[in-house]
Amino acid sequence: MTGAVERERILTVRNLKTYFRTPEGVVRAVDDVSFHLDRGEVLALVGESGCGKSVTAHSILGLVKAPPAKVDGEIVFGDRNLVGLPEKEYRHIRGKQISMIFQEPMSAFDPLYTVGRQLMEVAKAHMPWGDGEAKERIIDTLKSIHIPEPDKRYDEYPHEMSGGMLQRIMIAMALITSPDIIIADEPTTALDVTIQAQVLNLMQDLQSQYRGSIIFITHDLGTVAEIADRVHVMYAGKIVEKAPVAELFASPIHPYTSGLLTSRVRREYKGQDLPYIEGYVPRAYEFPEGCRFHPRCPKAVAKCSEVQPPEFEPAPGHTVACWLLEEGDDR
Amino acid sequence: MKIISTRNLKKYFPIRSGVFLQISGWVRALENVNMEITQGETIGVVGESGCGKSTLGRTIVKIYEPTAGSITYRDPSGASHDLSKGIDRRVEPIFRKDVQMIFQNPFDSLDPRMTIRDTIREPLQTHRLLAGKKAMDERVAELLMKVGLYPEYAQRYPHEFSGGQRQRIAIARSISVNPRLLICDEPTSALDVSVQSQIINLLKDIQRDTNMSLIFISHNLDVVHHMSDRIMVMYLGNVVESAPATELFDNPAHPYTQALMSAVPSWNPKDRKLGQVKLEGEPPSPINPPSGCPFHPRCPHRLALCSKAKPEAVEVSDGHFSACHLHSV
Repeated sequence: MTGAVERERILTVRNLKTYFRTPEGVVRAVDDVSFHLDRGEVLALVGESGCGKSVTAHSILGLVKAPPAKVDGEIVFGDRNLVGLPEKEYRHIRGKQISMIFQEPMSAFDPLYTVGRQLMEVAKAHMPWGDGEAKERIIDTLKSIHIPEPDKRYDEYPHEMSGGMLQRIMIAMALITSPDIIIADEPTTALDVTIQAQVLNLMQDLQSQYRGSIIFITHDLGTVAEIADRVHVMYAGKIVEKAPVAELFASPIHPYTSGLLTSRVRREYKGQDLPYIEGYVPRAYEFPEGCRFHPRCPKAVAKCSEVQPPEFEPAPGHTVACWLLEEGDDR
Repeated sequence: MKIISTRNLKKYFPIRSGVFLQISGWVRALENVNMEITQGETIGVVGESGCGKSTLGRTIVKIYEPTAGSITYRDPSGASHDLSKGIDRRVEPIFRKDVQMIFQNPFDSLDPRMTIRDTIREPLQTHRLLAGKKAMDERVAELLMKVGLYPEYAQRYPHEFSGGQRQRIAIARSISVNPRLLICDEPTSALDVSVQSQIINLLKDIQRDTNMSLIFISHNLDVVHHMSDRIMVMYLGNVVESAPATELFDNPAHPYTQALMSAVPSWNPKDRKLGQVKLEGEPPSPINPPSGCPFHPRCPHRLALCSKAKPEAVEVSDGHFSACHLHSV
C-alpha cells in the first residue's frame, strides 16, 4: 500500500444502473453506482439484504438478463465496456478473467457430477489444455489451497463433502483460469465460524500469492475488518460511503455506516439495551425520495427528504454521500 | 422454580436404507444432556451446525420424542410430570400453552394464507383463553403494540412484511398465551444486522415484563452472551462446557470453547486475528462420532487418553462445568 507505486486500475464502474420491472413497479436495484478496483486489492461491498450488492456483482458478470432488466452506465474492464457486450464475447470473460464464488456451495454445484468433472468443465471451456494436463492443473490447484487428498476429492460427488470443503473447491474452481478478478458473493455466510476463519485465511493467502483482485460481497462487517483493503457501504441501491478499511472502522462518517458499526453486539452492552437503527430496510420498489436512508436517519434534516446527496470527499480516498457534509459542515 | 429439567437426554435418529428400510445406523444428535431452567432465567445454547442445539430445543418442546433419558416438567401449580414417555392427556394442554417456540426463518414459520390476526388468534382459540370476537381482537391489537407493530396490521398477510416485522409477529403469536418458557431457535440469524438488535431488545423487554424463561439457541457467540444468564456450549451432541455467561467468556475452559471464541472476527482491521486461529479440520459426522472425547481429532491439546475415554464434566469453578481430560491431569 505504498503511495509511490503506481496502482494498476483493473475495473472501473461508472454510473451503473440496473433496473428491473416488476408488477409492483420499477425496482432500482443498483442506482448510479461508481467505483473502481485496483490490481491486487480486496474491495468489500457491504450492506444489508436488498442493498444491491449482489446485483452489482451480477451486472459486472453479465448475469442480469437484459431485457427485461435494464443495465445502464459503464463497466470498463481492460479497454472494453462490458455493458451491452454480446453474450458470445462475455463467455470469454466470465469464468476466465472474472470468476465468481457463490454463497451456497451446496447449491452451486451440480449434484449429478463429480466435482472433478465440474472443475474440468471450467478448465476445458477456457484453457487450451488437453485432458491430461487439465486434470494435472486442477489437482495442483486443489493442492495449492491445501485440500487434503486432492486425487480422491476429484472423483467425489458434492454430497460426499462438507460445506466448508465444497466452498474451498469452489475457490479452486474460480482460480483455475488465473482470473484478474474474483467476485466472492457472501463466500462464508453459510459456514460455521471456525470454518469461516479457515476459508478467510485461505483467501488471504491466495491474494498475496496471485496478485489478482477480489470483490468481497458481504453483510458482515466483522469479516470485512479481517480481509478488506477498501470498503464500500451500500444502502438501498446506492453507495453511501467509500473508505480504506482502517479509516472506515476508526471514523465512519455516514450515519448508516456508524449505525451498522454500533449495531454490533458488544460484550460491554450486557444488561443494557442494544443500540440499533430505527425502522426497516425499505423494499426495493418503494425507495424513499431524497437520501434513501433519511427515514431511518437520526440526523436527517429537511433537505434529506428532497434531494439525493452527492458524494463529498472529507478525506482523500474517503467519500460520503450525505448532506451533513455540505459546506464544510463536519459535525 | 424449575420449569423443565432433563437427565441424560438422548436423541438418536435412525438411518434407514434398503428395500425394507431397515435401520442401518444412527445419527447421534444428542448425548446425555443434563440441563434445567428456572423461572425468569435465560439459558443460551451455542455451537456450530450439527452440534445438536436445535435438536435439544425441539426435544424439549416434544417435537421429537427422546430416545432415552428423562424430561421433567413442572406445571404452574407445582406438580411434576415426566414427559419422556409421551405426555399425559390432562397435562398436554397445560404444557403446550406453557412452553412456546419461535423459529429461525420468519418467512417459513408464518402461514402465508392467514392474516396476521388469524395467526395470532389461533393459539388463543386453541387454548380457549378468551371468549368473543371483540375480546380477541383487543388482545391481538394489544399484542401487536407490545411487539412494536401497528394494530392496523392485523388484517394484512405475512408477505407484506419484512423479515424483522415477521419475526415480531411470530413473537406476538408465541407470547399470546402467556407462556412461562419460550424456546428461541436462532431467532435473529435470518435478519439484517440493523434489525437483529431490535429483536433482541424486544425479547429482553418482554422477559422483563413477564418474568418468562428463555432457551436461546444460536451460533452467534456475542448474541448468546448478551441474552443469557447461563450458556451451554455444544459439540457433536455433547455439552462440552456450561457456565454463567460472563464467566464463560472471561475464562473459557474447554479447548473447543476457546477455539470457537478465537474464530470470531475482531472487527478491528488493525488487529486482524483470524490468521492466528489454530483450529484445523471440520466437525466429524454424528453418524460415526469419534471415540473418547468428541473433540479430540481437532483438539490442539489432545492427550493419549482423549481418544479412549470420554471425559466427564467437572466443576472447574463455581457453577462452571467443563468436560475435558485436561482438567484432571
